[in-house]
Amino acid sequence: MGSAHGSFQQLAAEPESAKTLRDGSRIAVVGAGPSGSMFSYFLLNMAEATSLQLNVDLFEPRRFCHRGPAGCNHCGGVISESLVQRLATEGIVLPDEVVQRGIESYTLHMDIGDVEICTPLEERRIAAVYRGNGPRDSEPMESESFDGYLQRLAVDKGANLVQRLVTDVSREGDRMRLECADGFHDEYELVVLASGINSRLTADLEERAGGFRKPAPTKAFICEFKLGREVIRETLGPSMHVFLLDIPRLEFAALIPKGEYTTLALLGDDIDEELMQRFFTSPEVKNCFPGGKIPDHVCHCYPRMNISGARPPYADRMVMIGDCGTTRLFKDGIGAAYRAAKAAARAAVFHGVAAEDFEAHYWPMCRSVQVDNRFGKLLFAVAGLIQKARFARRGVLRMTITEQRHPGKPKRMSGVLWDLFSGSARYREVFMRTLHPAYIKDLVWNLVAGNVDRSHPPAVERRHGTH
Amino acid sequence: MARTDRPTASEQSFLTRAQQLEQRPPCQVGCPNSGDVRGWLGIIAQRRKHGLSLEQAYSAAWNQLVELNPFPATIGRICPHPCESRCTRASKDGAVAINDLERFLGDWAIAHELALPHSRDRRCVESIGVIGSGPAGLSFAYQMARRGYRVSVYEKNATPGGMLRHAIPEYRLPRSVVEAEIQRVFDLGVSLQDGVNLSEDMQDLRERHSLLFLGLGAQRPRRLDIPGDSLVGVVSGIDYLARRKQGKSTKLGASVLVIGGGNTAIDAARTARRDGAAVTLLYRRSRQEMPAAAAEVDDAIDEGVRFLFLVAPTEVLGDGKKVTGLDYQHMRLGAPDEQGRRRPTPVKGETGRLAADSIIVAISQQPDWHDDGWLKTREDGRLANDLWAGGDDTGPGIASRAVAQGRLAAQSAHAQLRGETPLGAPSVAVDVDTGKVRTDFYDERRRHARSRLPPKERLERPEDEVDRTIDSRQASEEASRCMSCGLCFDCQQCVMYCNAGGFSRLENTTTGHYFELALDVCEGCGKCVELCPCGYLTARQSRD
Ligand SMILES: Cc1cc2nc3c(=O)[nH]c(=O)nc-3n(C[C@H](O)[C@H](O)[C@H](O)COP(=O)(O)OP(=O)(O)OC[C@H]3O[C@@H](n4cnc5c(N)ncnc54)[C@H](O)[C@@H]3O)c2cc1C
Ligand SMILES: Cc1cc2nc3c(=O)[nH]c(=O)nc-3n(C[C@H](O)[C@H](O)[C@H](O)COP(=O)(O)OP(=O)(O)OC[C@H]3O[C@@H](n4cnc5c(N)ncnc54)[C@H](O)[C@@H]3O)c2cc1C
Ligand code: SF4
Ligand code: SF4
Ligand code: SF4
Repeated sequence: MGSAHGSFQQLAAEPESAKTLRDGSRIAVVGAGPSGSMFSYFLLNMAEATSLQLNVDLFEPRRFCHRGPAGCNHCGGVISESLVQRLATEGIVLPDEVVQRGIESYTLHMDIGDVEICTPLEERRIAAVYRGNGPRDSEPMESESFDGYLQRLAVDKGANLVQRLVTDVSREGDRMRLECADGFHDEYELVVLASGINSRLTADLEERAGGFRKPAPTKAFICEFKLGREVIRETLGPSMHVFLLDIPRLEFAALIPKGEYTTLALLGDDIDEELMQRFFTSPEVKNCFPGGKIPDHVCHCYPRMNISGARPPYADRMVMIGDCGTTRLFKDGIGAAYRAAKAAARAAVFHGVAAEDFEAHYWPMCRSVQVDNRFGKLLFAVAGLIQKARFARRGVLRMTITEQRHPGKPKRMSGVLWDLFSGSARYREVFMRTLHPAYIKDLVWNLVAGNVDRSHPPAVERRHGTH
Repeated sequence: MARTDRPTASEQSFLTRAQQLEQRPPCQVGCPNSGDVRGWLGIIAQRRKHGLSLEQAYSAAWNQLVELNPFPATIGRICPHPCESRCTRASKDGAVAINDLERFLGDWAIAHELALPHSRDRRCVESIGVIGSGPAGLSFAYQMARRGYRVSVYEKNATPGGMLRHAIPEYRLPRSVVEAEIQRVFDLGVSLQDGVNLSEDMQDLRERHSLLFLGLGAQRPRRLDIPGDSLVGVVSGIDYLARRKQGKSTKLGASVLVIGGGNTAIDAARTARRDGAAVTLLYRRSRQEMPAAAAEVDDAIDEGVRFLFLVAPTEVLGDGKKVTGLDYQHMRLGAPDEQGRRRPTPVKGETGRLAADSIIVAISQQPDWHDDGWLKTREDGRLANDLWAGGDDTGPGIASRAVAQGRLAAQSAHAQLRGETPLGAPSVAVDVDTGKVRTDFYDERRRHARSRLPPKERLERPEDEVDRTIDSRQASEEASRCMSCGLCFDCQQCVMYCNAGGFSRLENTTTGHYFELALDVCEGCGKCVELCPCGYLTARQSRD
């Protein structure tokens, strides 16, 4: 033990050259969620390319082969198309056992009607995955956990999986000391925190060592229903169902079909029971289920979501990636984990592991995400306004339906909604598109038309009928 | 933060609230003496969390163990360890070697001269009499003496210890071990009168003592009841073993037949092999039905004992004075009897004959007290208001059961003397649902391999113990293989992953107790219940 816990920010006076990774350097990655596993994978890949021999210990107490919350990193499991493609260019092709169902469209549900938005480019598909081994009360499946798959990639690359829970990270002279619940401890040249936001580790470290601010969480809700493949094909289809409902604090609600099951994810500002109550009693939701009745759930949890990143997400010989560093608001957390993992690995291999190295080569990526999140907040605020105003909902619905009916027509509203739901594009880019004169012109026209011509409400437009 | 448990609109609750619930682990369920195995293993495995050195942990673990069993070095050698057969770890990479650890702690305590715990309760002044100094009687004596009672033990043999001292062979249980552990009981001030064979009329004793305990064992061997069974050369298993234990010579001759299928038969056969005889053991059922421990049957085979199954003796042959052989009848297994064991029935016309110099009969023992056999006590061991009994005089059993019955009788006798209501149900009432123990959370770590004397050397050195005691390194590693079924072992997953912050560390942690769960903070995600590897966290029934 010996050394006192110092602030992570305190810089020891030492030659710059000492804070680089060398042959035989030891790296601890805490957490084998997407960010930790991908970091390990990229780091070892880059090291291999530069003939650097590194030892990576990947700490993860979770067994992704367990069903239910024990084996799961709780999320909706939607892998955005941009990420699927980017992973493919890295040579990471998601196998069929991992992908529960390719999602081909989004169905938008509002009180005034539904509309199905097809993928902007026909060949694109979104993947729906399970982070663990499926719902709590499910039968063993032939499917594979997404996180388990990435973890295996990292291990196959040479990472050493340590199935232990990390309880403390502290500075020990010029190295980092890591402690585990079972008494195990060791020292490393670099510690990568990838413990997510559903773990107390960053809060404990903030309390004990200080020098940084942990990310701020908000409460979300996820549950799973077992409907059976047949029923899913008839009711939900290969479509993700998104609800724009006038429920305060609910930012986003989606039903995501996965094999025999469907995942419901509610995101917003501290989802609580009152909100859930309103959600489950709204007819738009009930109508998505057979007989208009919400079936019994087979799994549920209240995971946390990151609403502001760690500050700063690095220190000497330490870097925070994924949800415990900086991530995207509401959407594409796994995509953000990918970018953070790659940027941090590149900084560590090609530049160094001092705070300045991460500041120069990792922080810019985090900052751009944080800036983009501000646009995201704005967009979701606008979406919130639309949810509240019936006349606005009519305009949006009409414009989307018209676009979907005419294949040649530019998909201005469809594209905005698609990107907002899927998280495929940067929020800033989406926001800019909404400022495009053609978009505004179309929207104004539809607002007028949708509210004047009420005798002919646009027909409900969907391929997969609900009951 | 606390929210009511009201169902949502979908008529179901999205709340799985957690609770900490200590449950009885399978090893304890399996142990005839309800040993708190998880407790004393935990002291060793979790010692660092409480700042104990290995030595301090061994000492503390032994002290916890002897609460229930004052003879760990002894029981650790001879117990067929039903605890291990139930151990949850058995399905993963081998049961925790509980028996070896018990033995290790016992030997460690002997080497370090640890004394049994002793309370000086000044209220307990009554005089107590114990008849029989086997494990049952001595367990009773210990439990009374440690509470302060004045205890006198009466024993018909010249030395105390019952079957442990007088029957179980040296190569399994050295005299020195039994003597050391027994001595500790007498060190508590228990007095011994040996060489007194008490009769059924105990008027004198009843007057001298406030109450009595009968731990008489089952001393009378059953006879074969076939022609020739009183010829010279026909001996009972326990007589033969007792003579050998006393170092007296036994002239068995070159070829020996042993009849029976229990512990005594196997011990007699193995001992006769060590005496240089060719040994054949005859049993009327098949190997599967043998009451003897399977491992010992294997050992007997390794040591060259021949087995003849499904045969029943019909006549002992002799030359008028001495045994020359045995006629037997082949049997087959018929319908199961009351105990579920298949009853052997003769196969007509199929008989056989074997030559022999001696025949050892080991077909069970019965109490040598009065004619109607086993003593019939109440559940707490009570026979009459001032008379308790336990051990093999209430039915054939194993040493651990005898210790348990002596202990339970002492608890009941103490309660009566002090005018207290006897102890109710054990404090931990619920058994662990082993399906809820997440065995794959624990690292794969194989059970240590026992160090044993090779069969050839066993016969060359007949008095040497076959099994060796594990060393300290093995002991500490083996203890940490325990998965602590049903009780917290501080893996810290719950506290790490609970988003609601429901768990906080106790200020004074003890083995098995590390966190407090604030029930009103729990938001009902149920995650910790799923995560807790040992099953300590369970789901609360809703609306409580
Ligand atoms: C309701 C909800 C829905 C979501 N839906 C989506 C979606 O559809 N698509 C999408 O892309 N993103 C989604 N996200 C976001 C996504 O879940 C996260 O951004 C992503 O999981 C972050 O990955 P990570 O590796 O940083 O952290 P995590 O996935 O949280 O992984 C952290 C890992 O660290 C381990 N760990 C924690 N503490 C310790 C410790 N002390 N010692 C050792 N290991 C430790 C954990 O066991 C875990 O495996 C959603 C989030 C929420 C809350
Ligand atoms: C050969 C053999 C091998 C065994 N192997 C095992 C084994 O491997 N594992 C295991 O767990 N168990 C084994 N057992 C069983 C175990 O030894 C007994 O279950 C246990 O000893 C019973 O204890 P007890 O105190 O009831 O009786 P005992 O041990 O029989 O003790 C009774 C004592 O009472 C004394 N006594 C009896 N009558 C009187 C009287 N009238 N007056 C004064 N004193 C009297 C006797 O002399 C004796 O000392 C074995 C038994 C035998 C015979
Ligand atoms: S693992 Fe430990 S607590 Fe569980 S049954 Fe085995 S010895 Fe007992
Ligand atoms: S993890 Fe926390 S909130 Fe969830 S059930 Fe357990 S105590 Fe309750
Ligand atoms: S999860 Fe671990 S620390 Fe928590 S109660 Fe279970 S065993 Fe104890």
